[in-house]
Amino acid sequence: MKLLVAFMIVAAPLAAQSPRARLEGRVPAAALPGIDSLIEQAAVESLPTEPLVQKALEGGAKGIPVDRLVNGVRHGLVQLRDARAIVSRATPARVALDGDVAAVAAALARGLDPRLVERLLAGAPPPGEAPGPVLHAAADLVAHGFPADSAADLLQTAQQEGLRGARLLDVAVAASHELQREGGRTPTEALARVRAMMPNVPVATPPHPRAVTRRAGPGS
Amino acid sequence: MNVNDPRLQEALDGERDPATLPEGLREAYARLTDAADLLREPPAVSVADRVMTEIRREAPVHVVSPAGVARRLVGWFNRPRAVTLRLRPVWTLAIAAALAAVVFLPFEVPPTPGADEGVAQFVGHFPGARSVEVVGSFNDWRRGALALRDEDNDGIWHGAVVLPAGQHEYMFVVDGERWVADPLAGRYVDDGFGAGRQNALLIVR
Repeated sequence: MKLLVAFMIVAAPLAAQSPRARLEGRVPAAALPGIDSLIEQAAVESLPTEPLVQKALEGGAKGIPVDRLVNGVRHGLVQLRDARAIVSRATPARVALDGDVAAVAAALARGLDPRLVERLLAGAPPPGEAPGPVLHAAADLVAHGFPADSAADLLQTAQQEGLRGARLLDVAVAASHELQREGGRTPTEALARVRAMMPNVPVATPPHPRAVTRRAGPGS
Repeated sequence: MNVNDPRLQEALDGERDPATLPEGLREAYARLTDAADLLREPPAVSVADRVMTEIRREAPVHVVSPAGVARRLVGWFNRPRAVTLRLRPVWTLAIAAALAAVVFLPFEVPPTPGADEGVAQFVGHFPGARSVEVVGSFNDWRRGALALRDEDNDGIWHGAVVLPAGQHEYMFVVDGERWVADPLAGRYVDDGFGAGRQNALLIVR
């Protein structure tokens, strides 16, 4: 509880500061001009700047060398541009929201194929629904070895069945559980099983942390 | 005079005329017969009646001053009193265990999320670590904002925090210098700095 209070006390005022003020003292001084320039460029292009500020803070905290730090922020800017292009193509009738662009950029950073992202954005999500959950669900499925197109098919079916938001993450969890079930199932069989469950896909509950940790090896 | 004189006994028994007794014995005879007469008479009021009369009698009215009341109260509180506790050993041990649990066990009030927030629980197995903290996008990658705890020194470090719904990247920092992606996160994302390192990804729902 004390940590929560401390977090709120520290984090809330920081978020209200300008990017420059948040970066000073947190990233090497030699990296600041380059990072500033990239953040300004993002602002000029009406791209969200917060992901770039976060990337710079992350690099500073990790002690990343200056050249790699600036390159990391530059890579973030490129991903934001790509993301906005995807959003614009997928939903031409809508203004690309910062949150949507950031969510797509995060999906690209997770390694999701741009075409798959575009397909999911252009699919069933109703206007106003954040694309983050369906993109993360797709990234989860692909990370577990499901074919990208089959994953997209499953998620679009889930949306047509009325599943929204975080419930789409449950679909991905259910599919990975089916894949890991004893006896062995192919990805196609696992997806078919989950499709048959819809819309009553079980809500994913995180296992008890202690049980998980004791099963897992040391975290180092 | 001797009260054991046989002549006195004879007179008391009615076997001798008391007038024939010598003067000293006559006086003794008179006192003894008076005492016997007294014992023969029934008491005017029985013992039970007298006790009940005393009980029913109204207590005398005392004028009580405030100072007197205070003095008596202070005296009552100051007076040592013997207290006898009769405890069964099994109950004594149970009470002691409960008290020890209250005093020594850490009771953590779980954080309460608001709307569009969730509780993120962080757990890591780092045997022998001196400190473990969570650093991520939710705390501007600032060190020292969220330290994990291992109260029982079993190497399992844990902590919880309320976070806004959405995705958050984070890392564990062990002993203040070693950056470790949470092996239990299940979701990871390349950190983009070119060394192939990954951040753990947390989705708060």
